[in-house]
Amino acid sequence: MSDAEQSGEAGAHDHHDYDHGVEGPGYATPQAAIEEAEPEQTAYVMGLHVGQDVDAPDFLAVVDVDLDSDTYGEIVERVQMPNRGDELHHFGWNACSSSCHVSGLERRHLVIPGQRSSRIHIVDTKDRRDPEITEVIEPEEVYEHDLSAPHTVHCIPDGEILISMLGDADGDLPGGFLELNDDFEIEGRWDPPGEIDMNYDFWYQPRYNVMVSTEWAAPKTYYPGFDLEDVEAGNYGRSLHFWDWEAGEVEQTIDLGEEGQIPLEVRFQHTPEGAHGFVGAALSSNIFHFWRDDDEWRVEKAIDFEAREHDDWDMPVPPLVTDILVSMDDRYLFGSNWLHGEVWMYDISDPANPRKADSLSVGGYFGDRQEVGGRDIVAGPQMLQLSLDGERLYWTTSLFSSWDNQFFPEEAEQGSVMLKADINPRKGTMRLDEDFLVDFGDLPEGPARAHEIRWPDGDCTSDVWQ
Amino acid sequence: MEVRLCWRDSGRQEVLEVEEGESVLEAAEVAGVGLPFGCRTGACGTCAALLFEGEVSHRRPPRALKQRHLADGYVLPCIATPETDVRLEVGAAVQRDLVPNPWK
Repeated sequence: MSDAEQSGEAGAHDHHDYDHGVEGPGYATPQAAIEEAEPEQTAYVMGLHVGQDVDAPDFLAVVDVDLDSDTYGEIVERVQMPNRGDELHHFGWNACSSSCHVSGLERRHLVIPGQRSSRIHIVDTKDRRDPEITEVIEPEEVYEHDLSAPHTVHCIPDGEILISMLGDADGDLPGGFLELNDDFEIEGRWDPPGEIDMNYDFWYQPRYNVMVSTEWAAPKTYYPGFDLEDVEAGNYGRSLHFWDWEAGEVEQTIDLGEEGQIPLEVRFQHTPEGAHGFVGAALSSNIFHFWRDDDEWRVEKAIDFEAREHDDWDMPVPPLVTDILVSMDDRYLFGSNWLHGEVWMYDISDPANPRKADSLSVGGYFGDRQEVGGRDIVAGPQMLQLSLDGERLYWTTSLFSSWDNQFFPEEAEQGSVMLKADINPRKGTMRLDEDFLVDFGDLPEGPARAHEIRWPDGDCTSDVWQ
Repeated sequence: MEVRLCWRDSGRQEVLEVEEGESVLEAAEVAGVGLPFGCRTGACGTCAALLFEGEVSHRRPPRALKQRHLADGYVLPCIATPETDVRLEVGAAVQRDLVPNPWK
């Protein structure tokens, strides 16, 4: 089913403030996404050779996840980037449900930044199994706006695209946001310089006129690797920024303190009425819940994951919560503890009091399972993606090439894997799918890492509703 | 200038001729020798190499390298131009040593 057909089916939807005689991309509501979505057949996954002795560019992998297909669980196509050295990482769509009132707009183009190169690729997925690069924004054009290190891509209403930029043109602070127009040209810097220093992930919730952004570090700090000296020197972030979405200015900054070091992935509830969200503080390995209280945002630690002793380590091993996501029905928070080797799901029907539903112990330093189908996993669960119906959770195992080298050096030689668990959202249970493994270690040019995952029809970390 | 490259793991060796003002990485690309790299501006350290002999100068500040790295002889081929004939250890293994696991 094409995006156009999809939006056609969803075309008669109605919501809030807009005349819904028009057809646009996406779904009228999160529940509509659950009802209308077919099980995913194709996954787009970032594949990397950067930082290896593999003389090949990074690539967009097209993975067959259609159970009825002969090539189920295989990489069926790879779109190689025009240059080496990008470090493909996160990526996003030109349009999502936030533009569902914009007729003529389709969810069709992927915006794929290079984290190290600061190059931005536009990929047309009209043919889902044979996408092609149509435009490339070169690093020099990005540096002109005194920005570098593109990270999170969110489409924003009316067809424009916002990208969080983690550094200035020198890879130092401050970072900011770069805006692209619907022709994929740089519109300019979105934020007035100086609103924030550090940047990382962001999400917006239009009905509260809010955007929330998180903090990693200056690119020159995190690019070479994770150095405790930098943590001690205060070079890593620990604050959340709540922005006036319309004005593009920070209204409130909350310091999460020692327990909130390196807040990375941030997710609002999907319901446009949702005034709750979560952020994973990767280094401190805690989950913080934030919510709207009268006219300000408040934050409290909601889940605390403990470090564990390991015979080969001088210090207890922190779990390192590197990714979280909220199921489309806002019922569960899923997350990955990359170093420990754990994927978990918590019931967040009472967002202030998450309740553990289930977890899987797989990969990492403590996982009960260290191989699937005879293939050693060699790293922990990292980037997650959930089917729109909430029944299939997939993940890859690479965090960032230089950080992988520190914590899971074997991944450079063996490559990443993509794994899957079957979820029962009624029972709150997860079960590893023993028959599913996509091997990024077995490619013609050499072993590759794998990072973020997306579906062609939207997923649990892309769509926002107005 | 002549730049001799060696790789730790494979024992591979290559010799490059580097024009004045050219970076080691640029010369390697001209010669069809694949070296790891990322930002190409000195911020990321993906191309980190160890200087065994000779002198190079960085045409921009090598921001990815801390004082201890410079003292240990790390250089960044993406922005390093040779001042004399040099010998460099290159390849992904050099970057892997740059920042070790801090807890292990």
